[in-house]
Amino acid sequence: MKNVGAFFTIFWFTLVFALGGCTKKNLKTDFDLLVSETLRINLQQEPPSLDWNKSTDLTSSVITNNIMEGLVDYNLEDPELGLSPGLALEWKADPLGKVWTFKLRSGVVWSDGVKFEAQQVVDGWERLLNPATASEYAYFLYAIKNAKKFHNGELKNFSEVGVQVLPDGNLRVELEYSMSYFPSLLTHHSTFPIRKDLIVKFGDRWTEANHMVVLGPYKLKIWNHDQAIVMERNEFYYGEKAKIKYVLCYMINELTTAINLFDSGKLDLQNGLPTREIKTWRQRKEYVEHGLLTIFYYGFNIKKAPFNNLKVRQAFASAIDRKQITDMLAGGQTPLLSWVPPGMMGYNSQVGIKFNPDNARRLLDEAGFKDRSLFPKVKLAFNTNEDQQRIAENIQAQIKKNLSIEMELVNEEWKVYLTHLRNDTPSIYRLGWTADYPDPDNFMNLMAGFSDNNHTGWKDKAFDELITQAAGTLDKNKRLKLYDKAQKILTEEATPVIPLYSGVSQSLVAPRVKGLVHNGLSRFVFKKVRLE
Amino acid sequence: MDSLSKILSPIVFFVWVVLLVLNFLDHDLGASVWYGVLVLNCFYFLFFALYQNMVGYILKRLMGSLLTIWVIASVTFLLLRVLPGGPFDSEKALPDEVKAAIEAKYHLNDPLPKQYLTYLKGLLHGDLGESYKYLGRSITDIVKESFPASIQLGVFSLVLAYLLGIPIGVIAARFHNRWVDHILMAFAIGSVSVPSFLVAPILILVFCFWLQWLEPALWQGPSYYILPTLVLGTRSAAVIARLTRASVLEVIRSDFIRTGRAKGLSETKILFKHVLRNSLIPVLTFSGPLVAGIITGSFVVEQIFAIPGIGKHMVLSVSNRDYPLILGTTLLFSVLLVACNLIVDLLYAVVDPRIKVP
Repeated sequence: MKNVGAFFTIFWFTLVFALGGCTKKNLKTDFDLLVSETLRINLQQEPPSLDWNKSTDLTSSVITNNIMEGLVDYNLEDPELGLSPGLALEWKADPLGKVWTFKLRSGVVWSDGVKFEAQQVVDGWERLLNPATASEYAYFLYAIKNAKKFHNGELKNFSEVGVQVLPDGNLRVELEYSMSYFPSLLTHHSTFPIRKDLIVKFGDRWTEANHMVVLGPYKLKIWNHDQAIVMERNEFYYGEKAKIKYVLCYMINELTTAINLFDSGKLDLQNGLPTREIKTWRQRKEYVEHGLLTIFYYGFNIKKAPFNNLKVRQAFASAIDRKQITDMLAGGQTPLLSWVPPGMMGYNSQVGIKFNPDNARRLLDEAGFKDRSLFPKVKLAFNTNEDQQRIAENIQAQIKKNLSIEMELVNEEWKVYLTHLRNDTPSIYRLGWTADYPDPDNFMNLMAGFSDNNHTGWKDKAFDELITQAAGTLDKNKRLKLYDKAQKILTEEATPVIPLYSGVSQSLVAPRVKGLVHNGLSRFVFKKVRLE
Repeated sequence: MDSLSKILSPIVFFVWVVLLVLNFLDHDLGASVWYGVLVLNCFYFLFFALYQNMVGYILKRLMGSLLTIWVIASVTFLLLRVLPGGPFDSEKALPDEVKAAIEAKYHLNDPLPKQYLTYLKGLLHGDLGESYKYLGRSITDIVKESFPASIQLGVFSLVLAYLLGIPIGVIAARFHNRWVDHILMAFAIGSVSVPSFLVAPILILVFCFWLQWLEPALWQGPSYYILPTLVLGTRSAAVIARLTRASVLEVIRSDFIRTGRAKGLSETKILFKHVLRNSLIPVLTFSGPLVAGIITGSFVVEQIFAIPGIGKHMVLSVSNRDYPLILGTTLLFSVLLVACNLIVDLLYAVVDPRIKVP
């Protein structure tokens, strides 16, 4: 068997040879891009879809928000994320907030040189609402007259839906009801214009790099599935051209792996850090954190004893010290007593049940549980996740200490958990919400009696009326007052939920990256970012 | 016939070694070269099968395999529908109209038997459907795009595993119960019992951050390949080493070896020519599942080194309830496993002339 010996020699020779050839020149990144003109970021996963009518996740939106723009854009530098003109230069509503007119920017062209027109917006909305598209975000435009009917198939003709191109090339939208925040919806990728001709031509593959045509500051250059995406500056972009020529997006799922690459100088931006070691990361000079428009809360099933008793719910709410939880998480989260998160219009730190163990015990006594042994055994449910485990254990301990009540913790895999939440809501469950658009209605709507996201079983007519009224109110101060009232009902008077804290985005940003604005929606737009 | 086989075997062997080395050094060979080699290999196997009179046996086994795969496909299909939670369940509840539109599009509202028939029909046409998670991407595309990296990593690791494992096993047996044996076996037990998520970070720390020789993650060239190959390969090497050692120890005591010694053959010749060949049966048996398992990707190693392989899809498709992708990856794994076991059964005849396969 001389072969074995020969094979051995070849193998070791190869290994040594390969090791020798490993001195990599660090001037270039993968795909032969110059490091000096490439921003390297981590998307964490393959974007499920870049079809902006259909995609539903944050990963995909990092790409779509850089290659596309909507009629309306955010002013990312504004802490409250006010609106700014996008493809529409200006917009106005009739006094009721029911008919909106959008004046479109002229001279805008797609990345293949074709002119941008209002009809392409209408095409996008028609596609979004077409049941055959099966977009999860179709309901975003339900406010438009007849849109819901078109989506559920009652209406076949899209021309009956309340959107039309005016003779001057502008867009007129008629709503079913007053809606003060309608322009906010148009910042969302699901409502962006499309090129119907290309979708007809390429079918589902219109989002591949060699087919895709866009309006944003970047265009798609390479999409190697499961590996990387390269975006290149779009020279046809109507506004100020992007400062960095390329954005290279990796899809590295494991956080520590991404950090290893960051530390070896191969990554410029890593959003999302391991929460366990967050104290270490916070001390690094590359660390950046920013409050998110995300809330985390616990809900009660108010149909089941003992939480059908308001006093019991209030007792639990005042027995939990939110600060203890955020201190434990130690990543810059903000304790939350009210419903709307800080950084959004409507946030009011004065609303909500404050931590007061004495009051909690008194309330529980009044509820008829002076003898704690009478209190039924309750289960606290959460989805299997390290952070959620820590939070649940903390709350279990706090309730035991402050109310002398034992709770059992139950965790389930995410989709199993969601199924239970919908079909057989646990006594106490944990959930969160991230803003789709920075308007309080997006949060208040959640707990409405008609909302599918309200698993508590709680329904309150006064609350529903308040938020419907607020949604149609154009005057900001009047709206705020209505939301204060509604939040008081939700968190203090009825207490079907206990808000815990609002989320935070944690990133490592390489020192050479300048001008990156962090915001509450975790919306990363790179057109103004520079490299030094 | 016999002499032809003696000429052909080294050629096929040599071609594979060259390909492997070129691939490791990241030379793009192009699909045609790979197809060429595969065809060459098929011919070789065919020739071999004819020569050994095994065509009937192979056909019978293939029929059996089809049955196995049909059972796996059906059971997986049913189990998925029993699993709570659907592909489009998310934190944000969807209005009923939206849910209805989605279910209609993916035929999830059809009665179960109809769904099953559609799925089987697609399968017969080689169409595995479209992913529910990665919209618009067919399962075939996903496998095509992610499988090559897994095969690459798998083959590198396998080569390393055999090249390390078999010699270590033989040497340990040769010096049975002496210090060499103890050290080698301690190494073997160590690499089996220390999990890869512990070994990998240590290797990364040493080779990427202290010595700065290799890359900590991604999959783009020789300097990226070495660490994952080491992590994945040494574990299997350890198992192979232990199997080889045990089996060599058994063979070494048999009569024909004593005869060889009496005839005055050198110890090395006895060990490598007579003992090794006869000790390979347990290693071969283990190789079927090993090859299938390693080639279809190791989730942990692929995660740690951010390798764009198929291991990730095998695991994440389940938590995403991406039915077509789960079915696709399960079937891929079953087909490979069945194929590897068939090849192993055929190889028995090569390694041990006493075994007649049919």
